[in-house]
Amino acid sequence: MKLHSIAVLLVAAFVVSACTGQGRFGGGGLNGGVDQSAISDPTSPAYFQQTIGDRILFAVNEHTLTPETEIVLQQQATWLIANPEYTAVVEGHADEQGTTAYNVALSARRANSVIEYLIGAGVEEGRLRSLPLGKARPIAICSNESCYQQNRRAVTVLTAGGVS
Amino acid sequence: MNMIKALTLLAACAIIAQPAYAQQRSGPLRIEITEGVIEPLPFAVPEFIAENPAAQEFAANIARVVASDLAGTGLFREIPEDAFISRLTDFASPVQYSDWKAINTQALVSGAVSAGSDGRLTVKFRVFDVFAEAQLGDGLQFGGSTSSWRRMAHKVADAVYSRITGEGGYFDSRVVFVAQNGPKDERRSRLAVMDYDGANVQYLTDDSAIVLAPRFSPTGDRVLYTSYESGFPQVFVLDVGTVQRRAMDVAAEAMTFAPRFGPDGRTVVFSLTEGGNSDLYKMDVDGSSAQRLTSAPSIETAPDFSPDGSQIVFESDRSGSQQLYVMGVNGGDATRISSGQGRYSAPVWSPRGDLIAFTKQANGRFHIGVMRIDGSEERLLTASFLDEGPTWSPNGRVIMFTRESQGTSGVQSLYSVDITGRNLRKVTTEGPASDATWSPLLN
Amino acid sequence: MQLQTGTYISGVAHGGLIFWVLVGGLFLRAGDPLPVQTTDVSLLTGEEFAALTAPQPSPIQPVQEPAVVQPDLPQDSPAISAQTDETVETSTPDAVAEPEKDPNPQQPTIVPQQPDEVTETAPDVLAPPVQDIATDLAPPSDAPPKATAAPRIAPTPAPETAPDTEIADTVSPQTAPDQNADSQVADKPATAPQQAAPEIVTEAEKPSAAPPRSLRPPSRPKKPTVALAKPQPAAPKENAINDAVAAVVAETSTATAAAPSGPPLTAGEKDALRVSVSNCWNLGSSSSEALSTTVVVMVDMSREGRPTAIKLQSSDGPSENATRIAFDAARRAVIRCGASGYKLPSDKYSQWQNIEMTFNPERMRIK
Repeated sequence: MKLHSIAVLLVAAFVVSACTGQGRFGGGGLNGGVDQSAISDPTSPAYFQQTIGDRILFAVNEHTLTPETEIVLQQQATWLIANPEYTAVVEGHADEQGTTAYNVALSARRANSVIEYLIGAGVEEGRLRSLPLGKARPIAICSNESCYQQNRRAVTVLTAGGVS
Repeated sequence: MNMIKALTLLAACAIIAQPAYAQQRSGPLRIEITEGVIEPLPFAVPEFIAENPAAQEFAANIARVVASDLAGTGLFREIPEDAFISRLTDFASPVQYSDWKAINTQALVSGAVSAGSDGRLTVKFRVFDVFAEAQLGDGLQFGGSTSSWRRMAHKVADAVYSRITGEGGYFDSRVVFVAQNGPKDERRSRLAVMDYDGANVQYLTDDSAIVLAPRFSPTGDRVLYTSYESGFPQVFVLDVGTVQRRAMDVAAEAMTFAPRFGPDGRTVVFSLTEGGNSDLYKMDVDGSSAQRLTSAPSIETAPDFSPDGSQIVFESDRSGSQQLYVMGVNGGDATRISSGQGRYSAPVWSPRGDLIAFTKQANGRFHIGVMRIDGSEERLLTASFLDEGPTWSPNGRVIMFTRESQGTSGVQSLYSVDITGRNLRKVTTEGPASDATWSPLLN
Repeated sequence: MQLQTGTYISGVAHGGLIFWVLVGGLFLRAGDPLPVQTTDVSLLTGEEFAALTAPQPSPIQPVQEPAVVQPDLPQDSPAISAQTDETVETSTPDAVAEPEKDPNPQQPTIVPQQPDEVTETAPDVLAPPVQDIATDLAPPSDAPPKATAAPRIAPTPAPETAPDTEIADTVSPQTAPDQNADSQVADKPATAPQQAAPEIVTEAEKPSAAPPRSLRPPSRPKKPTVALAKPQPAAPKENAINDAVAAVVAETSTATAAAPSGPPLTAGEKDALRVSVSNCWNLGSSSSEALSTTVVVMVDMSREGRPTAIKLQSSDGPSENATRIAFDAARRAVIRCGASGYKLPSDKYSQWQNIEMTFNPERMRIK
């Protein structure tokens, strides 16, 4: 379990350090830099990202959830319910082993799997939005399974500001 | 008695055999040639003759572009200028065929350029079959402004190419594509348009948003593409002349992608994704007459019209894996046409109407291939780590596609290949490029 | 052993038949317009055959990047209505200047290369260059000396140019190549002979991966090849030249009544001719339509084995365009490989004075 947390932390730290601010996808809201001291604060986005884990992974060509990923999503749902001032964009991603259009559609399926689960867990539908990015935004760029695996993900990205 | 029988037999044989022998001797000798060679045709394009000093630079450049166009097809092989025995000095003079035969030139292009004081350029040319010692076709003459000298060169090359091969031309055309920049995890992309040979690049958007898969309208005046500038994927229409763009008006915040114009330049087919499911829709580019074409829980995407606008080919994973399907332009039953082992995607219908190009994934490799519109006679033309996104040249003879190199520093480039699988070559672009779509012949 | 009567008769009959076939021609009169002489059967020596079948050498085309001339971008190329963009400038191998950015982002300057109007005119000034045909008719001075003037067909200048300007409407078979020039050694570019692969291998074609492939699908049902039928009457597109040529050819055949004909051409000799022409029959730059077109041409040969006239007899092409391209390729094949004369036995000249060649690309399509 500890290894899992470390892995999640490392991955989260890696991703967070690569954030370059707003407009990365063109206008979408994306949280920028993270205040390290806020990790311990269970109501902070940093806690959400690094302690709970803001991403889950998928098998090749799959968009279904596994029991492990459902545990993470359950925790995400709990957090979101407890912190209603946030909305979330659920990014879907695919690895590079596919064609562009299909990967957009596949990443949409993945994002939707997460959204449906969160809604089923009690999160208000209007707080969630899907953003299928296809294979345009990999986080690992080597051309083998160790990188592909990391890219087949759905990331729940928080935006401050409640639903109006 | 037996002797008589034998003689009768002999005589009968003689009578029967005689006409056969006689037939052998009448009429000309006949032979049938069924084997030949397939090799590039040697040709020469001597520097065009400048009919006034102002045309000198154009004369040289135009000849080079013509030669590059022809040699670039892989069907022609240029005889270099330093091999020439004689020069063409006067457009009206007869050709010394012997000088060109001696260096094995089979096709000769002679041309002349004159530049008017009003900034007008006149380009004329003739093409000769050297061994037959005959001019092929009419000479032609083009006029235009000096800034369109490249287009005139392409038109000359198109005429020469057409006359010799019998194919329609494709050099006077443009390609819209995505110009890429940056490492794989920080890719910047922007729309660009260029001549088919890589010249005259112009950018149509900045790189502040992800852009995907641009497609020309049938007249090449507008581009449909997918952009994330609104924060989610959405189909945009951009006017090439003014560079103005607008989102195509579907439903508010509807996520749309993979658009294509129909041959009428007004109808657009595209994918819309909702609740995780992607289906095909059709509507006028101004937003009216929206119609849903598929309603399946599977992914339906990457549609393309047939040249006559009556059918749509698309990609769907309704069978469990990505395959190609054809349906009528108003939806309805779809017939599966792909049948091999592997996953098929990104189908594009040839402008000739007879073939469909596609991307195929099998055994960890990507291929660009073609098949007949009923799915038969599948042929793979390329194989690599990642090939995708084929587009047809205006004459249906050449396919351009995106090839991505493997690894951490992998980049995307545009390649082209002849429909026979020959002449695979890289398209020269300033930097990494992908998602090309070929325009029809200009004008 | 005791011969049976039946065996005896059979033996006599077979022997008689064989004897008759061997020497029976000596006695034939009916239906044979030409007198027959006995000659030795001629065989091609090994060297002759090799010379006949030597492939036309040509260099392998190197794969090259398209030589794109990057022009200076015009001053009025459009800017994009973007604010800041300049970070995109990456170093380019060609160091092409970025298009100028419009300082005022709201008004992109301009029409990006809207395709300029390029007008296309068929010129009336462009009469094809006048060929000095008269000199071409002169017997080559450095050709091997021959006692008898070789029959030569050449058009008068006017009719030759007429078909040229009308190529769109008619398929006009062209006439004799410049015999004068062909007295030179057959062109041999100083390059290594091209390695000819038996078929095109695409990048995708690995032994394991091959789906059935065909270069071109047959677009029409195959018509019976004309070669098997009697020679067709002149093609519908016959023009004055054809008439003139045909007349002269007919004259020539009767005029050469004394020409040697000898025994029939052997299969080896015919094969050698076929292979010769095949080596120059290049289909690499033919459209798919042309590759589904069979053309039959009539070739008139001089005594030196050089083609003096090539006429289209018939074609089963789907269009005139396809016929024209197929005929062009056939004509080039005959002329190129016959530039220094085909190796055909001169003592059988009357047999190969006129040759009907059928060019059937069906098998080439599979490649």
